[in-house]
Parts: sequence; C-alpha cells; structure tokens
Amino acid sequence: MDEQETIEGCLRGDPVSERAMVEAYGVLVLSVALNVLGNRQDAEDVCQEAFLQAFRHLARYDRERSFKTWLLTIAYRRALDMLRKRRRFREFATRARFEPAATGERREPGPAAAAPLPSKLLEALSPRERLALTLWANEGYAAKDISEVLACSASTARVYLFNARRKIKALLEKDHEILQHR
Amino acid sequence: MKFCNIVDLFYEALPLSRSRDWLIRAHVERCPRCQARLLNRDEARSLLVAPAQLRGAADLWQKISAQAAPSVPGRETPAARGAVLWRWAAVTAMTAVMALAGFWLLRQIERPGLDGVEIAAAQRFELDYVKVGGAPAQTFVYQPQGTDTVFVWASKAP
Repeated sequence: MDEQETIEGCLRGDPVSERAMVEAYGVLVLSVALNVLGNRQDAEDVCQEAFLQAFRHLARYDRERSFKTWLLTIAYRRALDMLRKRRRFREFATRARFEPAATGERREPGPAAAAPLPSKLLEALSPRERLALTLWANEGYAAKDISEVLACSASTARVYLFNARRKIKALLEKDHEILQHR
Repeated sequence: MKFCNIVDLFYEALPLSRSRDWLIRAHVERCPRCQARLLNRDEARSLLVAPAQLRGAADLWQKISAQAAPSVPGRETPAARGAVLWRWAAVTAMTAVMALAGFWLLRQIERPGLDGVEIAAAQRFELDYVKVGGAPAQTFVYQPQGTDTVFVWASKAP
C-alpha cells in the first residue's frame, strides 16, 4: 500500500489504512516528540494525539506538500501544548506547595519503558532548537523543510539549527575540558 | 581567526534572523574553523533518540485504534468539511443581509421630535457689545413674535 492509498483509506476511515499509517510513521513521530519533550510518557501521549488529530483533519492535508512534514507539524504543535501544560502544572504545584509526585497521575510503565531518553545536554536548547536539530540529524532535513514544520522562514530555521549546533558543541567541549583537568 | 571573531560579534549584535542567516551562509558555512565549532551530524545523532532505536509501533496502534474508530464524532471527511464551509458562508451572508436591511429600515423611519432638539436661531443669538463711532452705543434687540428673526437697533448714546 503506497502513501496515497493509505491516505485515501484513512479518509474513508479504513482501520487497515490507519494501522498502516501508524506503523509507517509511528516511531518517527514518537522519536521527534521524545527528542523535543525529553519524557517518554509525554511523548507517547503526544504521538497518540498527533495521529488522532491527523485522522480527524486529514481532509485538510494539501497533497502538494509532504505528508511526513504535515504530520510532524501536528506532532510538534501537540508537543508545544504538552510543554505549556507541564509548565502550568509546575507553576500550580509550586504555588500550592504540593509535591509534584503526590499530585501527578501515577502511571504504569508501558512496554516502551526500556526506550532510551535523549541526552540531558538537549535541555540547554529551546523546543524549536531541539526540533531543528532532530530533523536535521535524524531525518536529513534542510532549513527549508525544518521551516515548514516550525512554521517560520527558512532563515529563521537555519538560525535555530545553527544555535543548537553551536550551543551543544560548546557544552561538549566544556565537559571535555573539565574531564581533562580532573 | 580574527575575522571569525568579528563575525561572532556581528552575529551577537544583530538579533534579526535574516541578518544572522546571511552571516551563516556567507561565512560560517564556508569557514573550516567555524564549522569545527559546530556539532556535526554524527555527534548530534549520538545525543538524540533515533526512530531505529524505538520499537512499539504495534503498541501505539493499539492505543490509537480505540480512539480512532470511524464512529468517533469530529472526524472530518472532505464532504463534511465542504458542508461546514458552506454553513459558515450561509450564516455570514444571512447576517450581512440582516444588518444591511436593519440599517436601511432605520434610515427610512422618521424620527419625530428629533428636529425639535435643535435650538432656534433666535435663542442662540447673543450680542456682547456694540460700539457706534468708537463709543458704546444704545442697543435694542427686537424679535417679532412667532418668528425666528432678530433685529438689532444701535444708536449713538446721548
């Protein structure tokens, strides 16, 4: 089943096509969400929401554009929503003097619990920079493709990518220097 | 080396992404020293989670399938999307027609008493000072009954 057939099937609400789409792009969306959020459970939630939103609004997809880029755009927006939600929750927990662990939902670790997490170094980057770096390194995206996902100009996307590469390299070099002086 | 530092300074000083982008394309992408200060693809991949490292697309499908059933309300089909657009267009057109009709009706309706609010010219007439031949004059103001006309009679003071 090729991509166009899968999309047609999903438009008709065919579960086989929907499954094929999740199998084709699921791990990609999950990896992007994981790299942006740095948290496996949140990344899984974002991945589910992104697919559901894509199925619901598939009629809006412009066939001239890349489907992968369209899907990643949805996933990125859902990831940003998740980050906002997380920030609001943190603010609430701080104000209410609650322990986040006590107020947060307790979840059973899923089968993907053994999945790796991205490096802590990525925390030095903004979500946009993390996404730009992920798409460039893992998917081989150029600035123009990254700009479509980020909904910005290619110049801005190039700057995000440059900043991300420079910041992380500087941090790596700093770590290296510290290790050498020990 | 000095030039790279100058580029760095300009990069920090110019906050516009267009100018920064120009510096990146004009210098950084061509300069081996600047390239060495950037993370390369392999280094970046070692820090990120790659799709190949993840498994569990089947698990994902299990979670999504329960919510992705065709009966779930809110699923948009091309026809449904077209219908929604037509509905919005019809509502907007109806609102515009009603607003225009209302405006036209308001313009047509006579509003009795509104003109009466306007103050008559005679009531608004006011004379502060009259001089005849450089000296204060004797002044008489007449208003014939039932008219809006005002006569002013000024004569040299005795």
